[in-house]
Amino acid sequence: MLQVKALTKTFGGFKAVKDVDLNVKKGEIVAVIGPNGAGKTTLFNLITGILKPDSGQVFFRDQDITGLPPYVICKKGMTRSFQIVNVFQRLSVFENVQISVMSREGKTWNLFTPSKKLLIEDTDRILDSVGLLGKRENISGALSHGDRKVLEIAMALGGNPEFLILDEPTAGMAPEETERCIELIKQLSDKMGLTILFCEHDMELVFSISERIMVMVRGSTIIQGSCEEVRCNEAVQDAYLGGSDVCLM
Amino acid sequence: MVQSILGGKGRVWGYGGIIVLILLPLFLPRFYIYLTSLILLYGLFATSLNFALGYGGIYQFHHAVFYGVGAYGAALVITKTGLSPWLGFIVGPLASALLSFVMGLICIRLSKLYFGMLQISLGSLVWAVIYRWYGLTGGDDGIHGIPMPDIIATPNSAYYFTLIVTAASLFVIHRMIKSPFGSALQGVRDNAVRSEMIGVNVKRHQLAALVIAGFFAGVSGALFVVVDTTVFPDMLFWTFSMEVMIMCLLGGWFTFMGPMLGAALIVLLRTFISTFTVYWALFLGLILMFVIFFLPDGVLGFFQKKMKQKN
Amino acid sequence: MDFIYSFISPGFLSQILVGLSRTVILFIVASGLSLILGVLRIPNVFHGSLYMIGAFMSYTISVAFGGGDTGFWLALIGAPIGVALISLVIERGLFQYLYEREHLMLILFTFAISLVFGDLVKLVWGAEYKSVPVPQVFQGFVSLFGGLPFPKYNTFLLFMGPVVAFALWLLVTKTKMGKISQAAAVDREMVGAVGINVSWVFATVFVIGCLLAGLGGALVAPTVSVTLGMDHSLIMEGFLIVIIGGLGNIWGALLGALIFGLTQSLGILIWPQFGIVFPYCAVIVVLLIRPTGLLKSTW
Repeated sequence: MLQVKALTKTFGGFKAVKDVDLNVKKGEIVAVIGPNGAGKTTLFNLITGILKPDSGQVFFRDQDITGLPPYVICKKGMTRSFQIVNVFQRLSVFENVQISVMSREGKTWNLFTPSKKLLIEDTDRILDSVGLLGKRENISGALSHGDRKVLEIAMALGGNPEFLILDEPTAGMAPEETERCIELIKQLSDKMGLTILFCEHDMELVFSISERIMVMVRGSTIIQGSCEEVRCNEAVQDAYLGGSDVCLM
Repeated sequence: MVQSILGGKGRVWGYGGIIVLILLPLFLPRFYIYLTSLILLYGLFATSLNFALGYGGIYQFHHAVFYGVGAYGAALVITKTGLSPWLGFIVGPLASALLSFVMGLICIRLSKLYFGMLQISLGSLVWAVIYRWYGLTGGDDGIHGIPMPDIIATPNSAYYFTLIVTAASLFVIHRMIKSPFGSALQGVRDNAVRSEMIGVNVKRHQLAALVIAGFFAGVSGALFVVVDTTVFPDMLFWTFSMEVMIMCLLGGWFTFMGPMLGAALIVLLRTFISTFTVYWALFLGLILMFVIFFLPDGVLGFFQKKMKQKN
Repeated sequence: MDFIYSFISPGFLSQILVGLSRTVILFIVASGLSLILGVLRIPNVFHGSLYMIGAFMSYTISVAFGGGDTGFWLALIGAPIGVALISLVIERGLFQYLYEREHLMLILFTFAISLVFGDLVKLVWGAEYKSVPVPQVFQGFVSLFGGLPFPKYNTFLLFMGPVVAFALWLLVTKTKMGKISQAAAVDREMVGAVGINVSWVFATVFVIGCLLAGLGGALVAPTVSVTLGMDHSLIMEGFLIVIIGGLGNIWGALLGALIFGLTQSLGILIWPQFGIVFPYCAVIVVLLIRPTGLLKSTW
């Protein structure tokens, strides 16, 4: 579904992402892991059009989407959440998701129908599926960190994507919130059939839900493979997991 | 419209306010009617700015240009062509909207503060042209005694005309803020990157917001011509743009009626303070400093917060 | 042939010199503006007020010493220092509490200060025109190209431009302070993290920038009538110069001032009525070609 070919991005001499290849098939859950500063977020920004790559290509459903603006890529069925919470602070939880749904339906150019009457059910359904329905009237800026991260995902879902990118979905969450979030991601994959690409520091999460893992260190891919392969790979252990000689977990 | 501001009692307040405004000419002397007209049209002007700045998060630093162009557009049609004055009232705002579109197109590709600064410079160009083009605009003298159609030529009828147009404009602006477009615009304000990522074409929405804001600034400019029958280049000098921002800030950025309240406060304070000192600017500066330090949400925003805390 | 000749005519050349002396004033003021924009990210609206206050102070000092040469030189030193002291009080007393706020609040706050200053100047110096005498050494004219008179004082200005530019270059590239401020412009947190007191770096840069505004005011005072309102027109020119030069780049400010000063003076020659419009048009042309200014901005 997603093919990334030799993607490279340089910031003032510093190669943040170099020659990265990545393949994600329909219905898969793929994790990208790597130490801080490995270029995971940059990679996601390149795929979703927030940054333009210096070289390399991105194909989504066999279409070349390299360098397209984010709003075009979104309409093609790929949405994402952000690592740093990125919600509409001054608006309510409901409005946050509603805007996303309205955007999908191409309604944002409607100047005179009150928003209050539009797409209520669709929005509520998404809120329900992530468990935020009870907080629909809360101002999103005042939510707990965990709830805002979930709202992030809900907003991404508003675009009715086939392909979802999650940038550290559980970062900063309390343990029980993390569990809820893992449950949610599993559901998105199982029930809604979404293809998911995510990055995460929480190894337990990574190994429990992903089918394949890509390891990035200093902008390059060092291995791409199944959980087993990655877990026991020496290069990974040296570079990333601190050089222990037993297989993890 | 007022409901969303004051909660359940809003409707009562709103209707009460409108009735008072309608009855005002019965018991207020002429000067105060003129003053109330000014408050209304400045309030509309400030609300149009707030549409772009408070709701759209666009650094519209030189909004007075569109106000001035609306006024000059109307004035020039009335004095230089034989056409109907009513046509002038339409041409003025349309000229503002067009200018807003062109300036927006040039500025929109830049980041926030650059946008604002470039807009100030383009606006200053428009000001310079109007200031110097004696033959057409009367230069720094402006144009005085612009003839009005009989039906709006008296202070009271000009007042009613201003009231009707302002109320209708506010209704339309409010409608737009509450529409999907308005929601998307507020989303863009809060987070442009996120908006792009849920499929909103940020630049295009901002451009549309600018055109709408410019149009209603033009409407308020044309209303000034009705109320004052003059135009002069200071109407589009950059300090006036700052003053209207102060109105928005004083009333409250993120409230709908805040800018109107701010306009009322500024006009009343200016009238009051000017009766005993020529140093109005000094007071305005001090008020502004006070608001920035202690009331960053404005007067209305402050009371809204208080009320929320009570509940 | 006549057409070409008109371009190398004495009138044209002396107008270029007039434009260059204007450039010097604009550069000195705009470089201060640019310095503050680059490091502190504040579009300082009351920069124009400080320029005006510099001019008025130089009037007071000059008059206090009998309007002679001593008065002029003392004014040239005293006025910028006076302005710097005012700006120090404002920065430490008010501004330092606002750095975290939005640009919008900052620009409105600087506007508030400019309103207050405008009226304070009116209170202190009154609303009448003031004129500062030109010192004896610079009185009169030198004759240039076929006998056209050129004010001696303007040659002094033309000399001061490079002097200030050189001093700024030294300050920014050769001193520790300059290097820290350049680094702070790029990455505040980093500079704070290595144990430098960013707050005082900001204060210093702010004061130096404002000192330049005062110097501009003191230098311009003998050539114009010192009056209320000279702040408003100047600050707009200053912003335009900074924009076309590239925000925060003081060499951009030099380039911008050059473009502005020359188009202004030549514009008046070409089309007197609309001379004022030419610099604005130059700005638009520049920005259409290079939307973020001619030189690299520090933003």
